[in-house]
Amino acid sequence: MPLTSILLLAATLAFAAAVVQALRALKSGRWKQGNVQLLPVAAGFALQTAFLYYRGQEVGQCPMKSLADILVFIGWSVVLLYFLVGSGFRLSLLGVFTAPLVTIMQSIALVQGFQPYAVKGKINALVELHAAVALIAYAAFALACITGVMYLVQERLLKLHRIGGLFYQLPPIQGLAKAIQRLVGLGLVLLSAALGISFALHTPVSNPKLVFSWIVWALYAVISFLMWRHVTSPRRTAWLAVVGFVLPFISLWIVTHA
Amino acid sequence: MPDPADNIRATGTLVCVGLNYKTTPVEVRERLAFPEAVVPQAVKNIRELPGFGESVVLSTCNRVELYASHELPEAPQSHDALRDYLVRHFQLQPEHAEAMVLYQLDAAEAARHLFRVVSGLDSMVLGETEIFGQVKAAYKTALDHGTTGKTLNKLFQQAFTVGKRVRNDTMIQRGSTSVGSVAVDLAEKVHDLKECRVMLVGAGEMSRTCAQSLLSRGAKSIIVSNRSYDKAVELAEEMKGRAMKFDEWEHALHEVDVIISSTSAPHFVIKPEQIEQTMRKRRWDPLLIIDIAVPRDVDPAVNAIEGVYLYDIDALQAIADDGRRERERQLVLCERIIEEQLAKFGFVGA
Repeated sequence: MPLTSILLLAATLAFAAAVVQALRALKSGRWKQGNVQLLPVAAGFALQTAFLYYRGQEVGQCPMKSLADILVFIGWSVVLLYFLVGSGFRLSLLGVFTAPLVTIMQSIALVQGFQPYAVKGKINALVELHAAVALIAYAAFALACITGVMYLVQERLLKLHRIGGLFYQLPPIQGLAKAIQRLVGLGLVLLSAALGISFALHTPVSNPKLVFSWIVWALYAVISFLMWRHVTSPRRTAWLAVVGFVLPFISLWIVTHA
Repeated sequence: MPDPADNIRATGTLVCVGLNYKTTPVEVRERLAFPEAVVPQAVKNIRELPGFGESVVLSTCNRVELYASHELPEAPQSHDALRDYLVRHFQLQPEHAEAMVLYQLDAAEAARHLFRVVSGLDSMVLGETEIFGQVKAAYKTALDHGTTGKTLNKLFQQAFTVGKRVRNDTMIQRGSTSVGSVAVDLAEKVHDLKECRVMLVGAGEMSRTCAQSLLSRGAKSIIVSNRSYDKAVELAEEMKGRAMKFDEWEHALHEVDVIISSTSAPHFVIKPEQIEQTMRKRRWDPLLIIDIAVPRDVDPAVNAIEGVYLYDIDALQAIADDGRRERERQLVLCERIIEEQLAKFGFVGA
């Protein structure tokens, strides 16, 4: 088995371990935020980073061309944003919700497998930057989706008076609503930057990758507008953040096969 | 291999004499409480009793306990000495002294008792944490005045370890056990408490308790509205809030994040149409409504409104009951930890 596959498998197992550990702790009602909970996620992140480094060496560029590579890159960005955003918003439990998504994405990547790239000509740094920024934007949307799930769970528990284990671990719904708003905003800014770079690439406007990116941008621009103007309730905007992520997720398939 | 208990036994026998809310009514307890300023002299006086070597005095609103080590040949002598000290110190009349019910615990029983006390297992509210700090303060006073030695130093250090283990390894402190603390937990899960504005509609005793709990945990501000404006002003002043006339509270609904209602109205005071309008004004910012009135003040249909979370007295009570039951389930685990630590302390199979 190549080193890259070993690293990715180990990273996936680390995230799976984080899921199991968290579920067991939550089930027994003993979940407490602490560095112990972060250890498997941190280990997974280190292994992801090592994978991306060696995979980059292998293909001679930033590994973002195949679906498998994109899934790993988004997974890595999600964890990176979690470390940056999770503590900032005091959303410690976000890690518990992040780990399953990353585990699933990396499992799909492992099943898909990694092939060498057919490098056509010289690597364009702007293209690499455009792709990397766009994928980090998608990671922000993924994190908004996860935070949306947390919001909906906590909201449901409050509405139904189910005051138990998970209720005490989840943050206040108002904080979650703000976090969704900021993550969608962050993703939108990053995607706008990625699309801005695309103007310098002289790519035809009809390029399917760009068309889908603009559709995703428009969707999140609408969601962001609804949130900032408080047009609808936080519960509905949480649903939008959750369901909305389906579009960028599907677009990955189309973009990588275009 | 030396017996770990040797250190303790070599320097004296442990004894604890005291009374608490279970043994003594409050009107007697308040007469037997040691004011903070008096405790340093008290610990010195006890240590100077014939045969005694160390002492710590724990005096809270729920208990007065004297911990000491002695070298008297018989345990009952130490009990009598400490009882006599209390009688002398508080200048009790013979009939009061006679009526005073004290528990008198020696060695392992005394250590077990302290471990249970420091873990909140002997508290009125099972698992409460305040007692941990109170025991720490009592020990520090004694330590600072040089009335502790090998026995009590080791005992109290061990007790703090037990308290921490019980707090970290069990869920004895999880959940809320009173209506006031449930209200705080709920408010914390809806809003950041520091930004939380509270409104009392009606100034009953229970709503006052809930509001005080919220304020003590950092709620930002409070508005009090009551049919009797004077009572609203009085309560508002007490809580450093703002009083409002009873016909005005509806106009301020959108300005608050938590409403606690407890009027004596025979009909619903807060209706869905009012709250729908309020939520539009609040731009869907979540609103927690706590209805502790019987008959209820808030139409239950309000809970169906987006962003509104309504809890009536039965719902609050059910959550508090669950919390108490959960804590009671944790007791077995806590007692196991205490027995383990007792064994480590040298009281094997105590």
